[in-house]
Amino acid sequence: MKIIVRSLVIALAVTGAIATSYANAASSKTTTKAPVSIHKTSAMPVPTCNPNNPGSC
Amino acid sequence: MVHFPLDKVSSTCPGDVRVITQILNSLVNIEVVFCLAALCAITLKKQWPEYWSLGGFLATRFLSDIILVPLLHIKISHANDAIGHNAYVAYFYIYWISYALESVLTLIIVYSIYSLAMAPLKGLQQLGMLVFRWAASISIVVALGSAFSPNMKGADYLIAAISQLQRTQSILTLCLLVFVCFAIRPMGLNYGSRIFGVSLGLGIMAATDLVQSAWMALVPNLYSAYNVVNGVVICLVLATWFAYFAMPEPKRRMIVLPTTSPFLRWNQISQVLGDNPGFVAVGGMPPELLAPAEIEIMQRASRKMVVPFPKSMSA
Repeated sequence: MKIIVRSLVIALAVTGAIATSYANAASSKTTTKAPVSIHKTSAMPVPTCNPNNPGSC
Repeated sequence: MVHFPLDKVSSTCPGDVRVITQILNSLVNIEVVFCLAALCAITLKKQWPEYWSLGGFLATRFLSDIILVPLLHIKISHANDAIGHNAYVAYFYIYWISYALESVLTLIIVYSIYSLAMAPLKGLQQLGMLVFRWAASISIVVALGSAFSPNMKGADYLIAAISQLQRTQSILTLCLLVFVCFAIRPMGLNYGSRIFGVSLGLGIMAATDLVQSAWMALVPNLYSAYNVVNGVVICLVLATWFAYFAMPEPKRRMIVLPTTSPFLRWNQISQVLGDNPGFVAVGGMPPELLAPAEIEIMQRASRKMVVPFPKSMSA
């Protein structure tokens, strides 16, 4: 049990670290028009288009 | 018959999107139900004083969900007119503002979980909380600052700032989870403790958020397949919290440390770090400040301290 839980926690931390480095690399390559953003952990659809800017999407 | 907002999208979209939206319809409802169930469990078990920040997070999520679902319904039914656009504007701002609130509340949850976990070691708790407050404050300032760029306007800045804040908060949460997991036994906790359960749920959410940020760099769509992953994860996390709060919590073990333990020594050192210092009069004190009794005592003590001159030296 102890090993399973610790492995899970380490896996989560390593996944987070890899994802952060990947997102940072992606955001440095992305143009200013569509910045990389995080969204709510939810089943609700993510509104990514700026409502005041018709050309944003 | 109940109609879900995404039903109409699925009816106009072919293939995979139709399946995804049907799954999302179910997940939205399960999310709302689990959110309410976890809130009820916290209330019934009278855990609000200790876990008020988690309760606030769940309440914010529940309220935002029950507002967002009808707005999405209106937006889809009036896709090409002003009502639909207004519904989308409301949806956009409610989504991101509730997300900002949830980010701040998650930081407070991390702070309170650390405080609860370290409660038996008061000195280290105070020291850690001081470090956490500084780290969190600097992170918030850096998040708000790094989101700023010359061509950023209102809504774009809102998204960028909240995303940076959420990223910072996710990293802090994962650090907390690693700490709680590896220091669980010295703190008298076990894997059935609510402190661990809440940390685990937050850690899963944080890892998902970070993976999502990398994913969204590739597929920035409103109805993407990643929403299904998100929906499943949040339902899993809410179910975990509900289970931890609904079940009785095992008692915290008594912490016994050897007298030579560095934990104990650091705890003792940390406990006196914040104490107000005492003051000693070094010089320049006029005799009028002393009471007559004090002067008398000092004179008698001085007489006793007079050392007779050694005879051998005088000879």
